[in-house]
Amino acid sequence: MALPNPARPNPALGQIPDSYKYGWHDAEQPPTTFEKGISAEVVAEISRIKGEPQWMTDLRLKAYRHFEARPMPTWGADLTPIDFQDIYYYVTGTDRAAQSWDDVPDYIRRTYDKLGIPEAEKKYLAGVGGQYDSEVVYHNIRTDLEKQGVIFLGTDEALKKYPEIFREHFGTVIPANDNKLAALNTAVWSGGSFIYVPPGVHVELPLQAYFRINTENMGQFERTLIIADEGSSVHYVEGCTAPTYSTASLHSAVVEIIVKKGARVRYTTIQNWSHNVYNLVTKRAVAHEDAVMEWVDGNLGSRVTMKYPSIYLLGERAHGEVLSIAFAGDEQHQDAGGKIIHAAPNTTSLITSKSISKGTGRTSYRGLVKVYPGCEKSKSTVRCDALILDEQARSDTYPYMEIDEEDVTIGHEATVSKVGSEQLFYLMSRGLSEAEASAMIVNGFIEPIVKELPMEYAVEMNRLIQLQMEGAVG
Amino acid sequence: MTTSVPTALTLDAQAISRISDHLDEPDWLRALRADWWRRAGETPPPTGLEEEWRRTDLSPLPRDGELLLDPPSVEISLPAGAAEAGVVVSDLRTAVAEHPDLVRRWLGQSEGQASHAHFWALALAGWTGGLFVHVPRNVTVDGTIVARTVLDRADVTYLPLTLVVAEESSSATVLEEVVSPDGGTGWFGGIVDIRAGQASRLRYANLQQLGDGAWNIGAQRVEVGQDATVTTLNAEVGSKVTKVGLDVQMTGKGGTSKLLGLLAAGDDQHIDINSDQDLHASYTTSDLLYLSALYDRARAAFYGVTKVRAGSAQTSSYQECRNLLLSPQAGAEPIPVLEIETNDILRCGHGATAGAIDPTQLFYAQSRGLDPEAAERMIVRGFFEQVVAQIEDETIRERILAALARRIGTTEAFA
Repeated sequence: MALPNPARPNPALGQIPDSYKYGWHDAEQPPTTFEKGISAEVVAEISRIKGEPQWMTDLRLKAYRHFEARPMPTWGADLTPIDFQDIYYYVTGTDRAAQSWDDVPDYIRRTYDKLGIPEAEKKYLAGVGGQYDSEVVYHNIRTDLEKQGVIFLGTDEALKKYPEIFREHFGTVIPANDNKLAALNTAVWSGGSFIYVPPGVHVELPLQAYFRINTENMGQFERTLIIADEGSSVHYVEGCTAPTYSTASLHSAVVEIIVKKGARVRYTTIQNWSHNVYNLVTKRAVAHEDAVMEWVDGNLGSRVTMKYPSIYLLGERAHGEVLSIAFAGDEQHQDAGGKIIHAAPNTTSLITSKSISKGTGRTSYRGLVKVYPGCEKSKSTVRCDALILDEQARSDTYPYMEIDEEDVTIGHEATVSKVGSEQLFYLMSRGLSEAEASAMIVNGFIEPIVKELPMEYAVEMNRLIQLQMEGAVG
Repeated sequence: MTTSVPTALTLDAQAISRISDHLDEPDWLRALRADWWRRAGETPPPTGLEEEWRRTDLSPLPRDGELLLDPPSVEISLPAGAAEAGVVVSDLRTAVAEHPDLVRRWLGQSEGQASHAHFWALALAGWTGGLFVHVPRNVTVDGTIVARTVLDRADVTYLPLTLVVAEESSSATVLEEVVSPDGGTGWFGGIVDIRAGQASRLRYANLQQLGDGAWNIGAQRVEVGQDATVTTLNAEVGSKVTKVGLDVQMTGKGGTSKLLGLLAAGDDQHIDINSDQDLHASYTTSDLLYLSALYDRARAAFYGVTKVRAGSAQTSSYQECRNLLLSPQAGAEPIPVLEIETNDILRCGHGATAGAIDPTQLFYAQSRGLDPEAAERMIVRGFFEQVVAQIEDETIRERILAALARRIGTTEAFA
């Protein structure tokens, strides 16, 4: 089986460079690029180029005013290095979404080849929505899904093809004025995936999309909207890699998910941006009666990630889960977590977080469990474990809880630990090097979450951890 | 004593010097008050946007109340032999007069917790009463030092100051109680400054039974020296609003602290605790256990931070905050935070829970013949046992259980 990874590097000590594994970038210039910076004119121009309906133009401009008016968040990670006027807000790699693999421009295909996407598609994927810069360039959905009425398109294309269903749901989970970064995304969004699963339809294979940033200081503002109609189910997988550049790049996505009565959605992300990226993402799902929503969220790359996938449990017996892994190496800050809002009786939730900090890296778990009055018999468990590998590394846990209902069972537990010297000694006495032993312990630590990943991602995750660990000792 | 002191003072710059005039204070103390008044001005009151102050609205705090100039003196019970061994336990005003050098050495020497710095400074500037405890080196006090303040007015501003100093290798147990009448709306801004010297052993319990109109905006600071062991217990029973900062500084190698809390609240009571367990030194241990039983529309917030500083090796720490919700309108916000800057830790974690009584427990108790109310009382008392069992001192345990009974009832009938 081909994996979406280059060949495994030599694991010998000292062989692993600290440089970012996917750090090549193509020399070709993208065909269309705006000037750096944002203004109402830029926002209107993006909408004009895309040929959008008036309501979307108006919404973008309204969102831009919210973005302007709101202060930058001062909590969480240090965001002061971000200069919003030093970022490109719209870049296209190709003028239209290609209909088949052959139509994809050569330089983009070369990039994807390095990531192994075609093989992954052949083996595993129901459809590929690969985002290269800001436009969806490749889309292929298997005909059996089409026959079932499943829509899997680039978000721009979905706005054109399915305007009613799009307008009915867009911005209903994360309104334009939700927060500064979500407002920015609403103003300048481009690309992302749109999925609609009709009532009762079960998408058996995971739907998958790859995202890349390929222009220096290019902000990616993709917008994903997933609607699982009553009794349906879908698993969406998103993986991210980005070339390494020396100046900061901003990634600020918005993901909205609507899980209707009795439906089930799992959204899996493995995020591995290069170490100059500011990744500030708003992800939120609403789960109606008897619905199940699961976020599986892996954060390995970027300079700063602030991402708290949220689930609003709006209907009785809805269930929400957030599984989160964060790995912070030198100079990285992963500020990740999850939010669960219990807004109906008999709702249940589980947040499991595993974070690892290495070198001078810092991981922070930041989460919220809120139970509104009247949501009796709600249950929530939050479990956070942190592993600190080096003396300079740091780990924080900020678990917020607001409980306004008596008849509930809410618990939170967290531990922070280091790799035990006895554990290391034991493994090394069995013939493993220190790096191999450490990697094995770390892989064991994150195993409860990795086992929830699709297989190729699980393998990739284990490899990434191994690379990081070997880099540590080398 | 001057005669020009007005009978009613509100807390302002003039008040500070008038307090000194009224108490005929020495120059060093006047200067100290002035310095802390200046510091109170430099650390503005919380705006409500601070993480530690988001959950308590301070705008209704009765700031213009009359300053209580002459509080009733502290009723002190000192175990036999303690005075002979050189232990000083007295009203702070008396201590200033009788042991000026000792008080001067320790009074106002500690920085308050950052989040409560304004109120810490205000109390050091505007205190008119309080408690002074000093246990000399190598002295062990057998028995319980009890200091009880019974206020006869509630509609006043009172900022008492408690200073407890346990010198090297000393040992003592202190229970401090404060009671005020129901009815009046007032501001009680007591602060407690505890210094535990090398290898000392100190147990400090604070039983708060303020009246139902009291705004209890307090701060407690504990500095734990090398190899010292300090246990604090806060039992919060009274008040309308209680907002207490607990600042535990683990500054000496090998120090141990245990922070226990019992909170029983009903009606519209609001309790908000901010703890800081700051582990600066290696081989230190700091464990916190706070339990709340919340009736009626009571609300308990807990925002506690464990900080393990870079360079401190082999520390152990735990924070545990449990909330029993006994009414559909009760609410809890337990937030235990960890900020860990090193990997060389022995043990570090936290846990927080909130929920109602397990119905199967209630059912079981009733199947054994208890009525539902008695069953609930027994379960609440059992819930508190996790802390009560750790109270070694019998006097403290009995008095705290008696005070809690006001809220949680008694289990004696079927004990």
